[in-house]
Amino acid sequence: MSESKKTESTKEYLAGLAYKVPSSSRRDFLKKGVKFSTGLAATAVTGEAISDNLPPNIPSWSKSLGTGVVSTPYGIPSKFENNVIRRTVPWLTANKISSISMSPIQELKGIITPNGLVFERYHAGAPIVNPEEHRLMIHGLVDNPLIFTMDDLMRFPSESVINFLECPANGGMEWRGPQMEALQFTHGMISCCEWTGVRLSTLLAEVGVQTKGKWVLAEGADGAGMSRSIPMDKALDDALIVYAQNGEKLRPEQGYPVRLFNPGWEGNTSVKWLRRLKIGDQPWHHREETSKYTDLMPDGRARRFSYEQEANSVITSPCPENPWGQKGSYEIEGLAWSGRGKIKHVDVSIDGGVTWRPARLKGLVLAKALSRFSLPFKWDGAPALLQSRAIDETGYVQPTITQLRDVRGTNSIYHKNSIHTWQLQHNGEIKNVQLK
Amino acid sequence: MFSLNKFLITLSLVAITLLPVAAFAGDIGHYGIGKTATAKEIAGWDIDVRSDGKGLPKGEGSVAQGEPLYEAKCASCHGLFGEGEGRWPPLAGGEDSLTEDRPEKTVGSYWPYVSTLWDYINRAMPFPAPQSLTPHEVYAISAYILYLNDLVEDDFVLTQSNLASIKMPNEANFYIDNRPDTSNTRCMKDCKDPSKIIIVESLRGITPEQEKEAIEEASTKTTLSAAAIEGKATYTTSCLACHDSGIAGAPMVSDKGAWAERLEQGMDTVVNHAINGFSGDKGMMPPKGGNLSLTNEQVKNAVQYMIEAE
Repeated sequence: MSESKKTESTKEYLAGLAYKVPSSSRRDFLKKGVKFSTGLAATAVTGEAISDNLPPNIPSWSKSLGTGVVSTPYGIPSKFENNVIRRTVPWLTANKISSISMSPIQELKGIITPNGLVFERYHAGAPIVNPEEHRLMIHGLVDNPLIFTMDDLMRFPSESVINFLECPANGGMEWRGPQMEALQFTHGMISCCEWTGVRLSTLLAEVGVQTKGKWVLAEGADGAGMSRSIPMDKALDDALIVYAQNGEKLRPEQGYPVRLFNPGWEGNTSVKWLRRLKIGDQPWHHREETSKYTDLMPDGRARRFSYEQEANSVITSPCPENPWGQKGSYEIEGLAWSGRGKIKHVDVSIDGGVTWRPARLKGLVLAKALSRFSLPFKWDGAPALLQSRAIDETGYVQPTITQLRDVRGTNSIYHKNSIHTWQLQHNGEIKNVQLK
Repeated sequence: MFSLNKFLITLSLVAITLLPVAAFAGDIGHYGIGKTATAKEIAGWDIDVRSDGKGLPKGEGSVAQGEPLYEAKCASCHGLFGEGEGRWPPLAGGEDSLTEDRPEKTVGSYWPYVSTLWDYINRAMPFPAPQSLTPHEVYAISAYILYLNDLVEDDFVLTQSNLASIKMPNEANFYIDNRPDTSNTRCMKDCKDPSKIIIVESLRGITPEQEKEAIEEASTKTTLSAAAIEGKATYTTSCLACHDSGIAGAPMVSDKGAWAERLEQGMDTVVNHAINGFSGDKGMMPPKGGNLSLTNEQVKNAVQYMIEAE
């Protein structure tokens, strides 16, 4: 036996990561300034050479033929949109197999996230599962344990819902202070899709849950055997067994060929590559609901089974990636969502929360889905502290970072849903700040 | 007689109304889809273990048996003493740190149940080769991790029957979600004193470069040999965990110098170390990276990939 087993351990959690960043990943902020100053407005002002494709000239693409049908049998975005991609924060996790990426929400419109841009979260990588050899087993405290093929699952009546999917660590890097100068990294662990599948309650009726059955263990077929305990109330309420997203079969990243989906709940409970549901009379207390996904409080105790994603919102335009240019008319726009139901109101402040005005909710406003808010704004070039505040249909008002810290301290990692502040500067650039 | 007639009429009405319902496969939830799971099928997949020990298979393992297993299969990421290598999770230490400014959540300081440890090792560890351990190995490694946390003595044997009776120090400190725990109000005017607003700025320079990443992804090279192309999949699933980050002295995939140094001994030796394991000043390589289900050919091709890849 070794004697010196008390060596200093590496401290690992999101909040303190700023102290561990390798110098190679430090970003040159001057470079970013260059990017923004070469925007359209600047080009017009500095009078760069006029393209042959601008009026009064006829553009080259109007004087030639384009590509034919099925030149890309599965279509891809315009090459000019190649900056619209998922990104990760490399120093956040030990490697890319057990890691997370963020959706480019600074570039997205409406409320639906395209399938190729839905954020990824793997605990042991995304497995390649052959649907013909995949099975879903339901057993435990049931009258008739069953095994379903994918064809079986698709014979049940299907339902489609539009719901967000969010990692509870979204924003978790900023408990101690602002860290990320990009919306993609402050809020990008969220996506919203139309999900199609069969109600879990339908399958549970099929196996016949015994009266003692109060919990469901959901287990994935990935190398992590990802597992979470789900209370029977949720299973019978709105949980879905999902095999399609946004009209096509699930992407491998999202659990192809089948996943659990718990609307409004922290993303990891929506177990991907679902292979097994076991009915029991108590929770299992597995690793991803004890060691992880529990919320450490200042008194040293920890919350568990904190499933719901509370109301949250963020301004997506302007943001560090979408600065403003000259003075004039702009739309302050953003996203709001709540795991407890519909968004009722979103208020916007330009003075750091001294005064607020109601924004307009536009487009579809659905329960447990991303909603868009909008406030037209005439900018006179003055600096501002921009904030948004969501109120959901339960009456819950999105808290300030100070209110959250007063209760939870800075070490709970998950469920940071505080009002976010962007500092608009004279030159139209946006800085990520927090207010005390 | 009257009542019997009424009964018959009711019965026939029921029969009539039941017919179309049956044709729609039943609102009451019996679609008749799916195949009954046999006891044998269930047994093969039924791996979960609960805090009361339910689900544990027969078996046992001692701290002494766990030490060499831990060092061969776990230490390259979690450290010889459970201290954690790089950003991989520490497993030991952190006693009484949960209220500190920088709490350290380990098996001993944070995890509420021993069953969680057993279940997780059994279902997901070692990282490159999940579900490859025997119950005996899982008992032994679990026992050793408990020992690293000072929770058991060095002569301890963990068994199916004593596992649930070991109390973890932090068990009582978990409680059910009690949110909402804030009560902000929808104030619209004069909500705070503007002169008292303090602006806290970010630590600049830690945000990943968004433009650069897009460019890098666009220019993927494809000048690999056939063997290296074959080896890429193996690399991704079994080698990347260490060779992407340099854990345990692993030569990183992009580090030409580190590979050139090793290749001075000849390719055969390098491949031999990859297949059979190696331990020395430069680091520690578990046999086949801990994934013994790989063939020698697969390991060889993965090495070829790591040597060639940019």
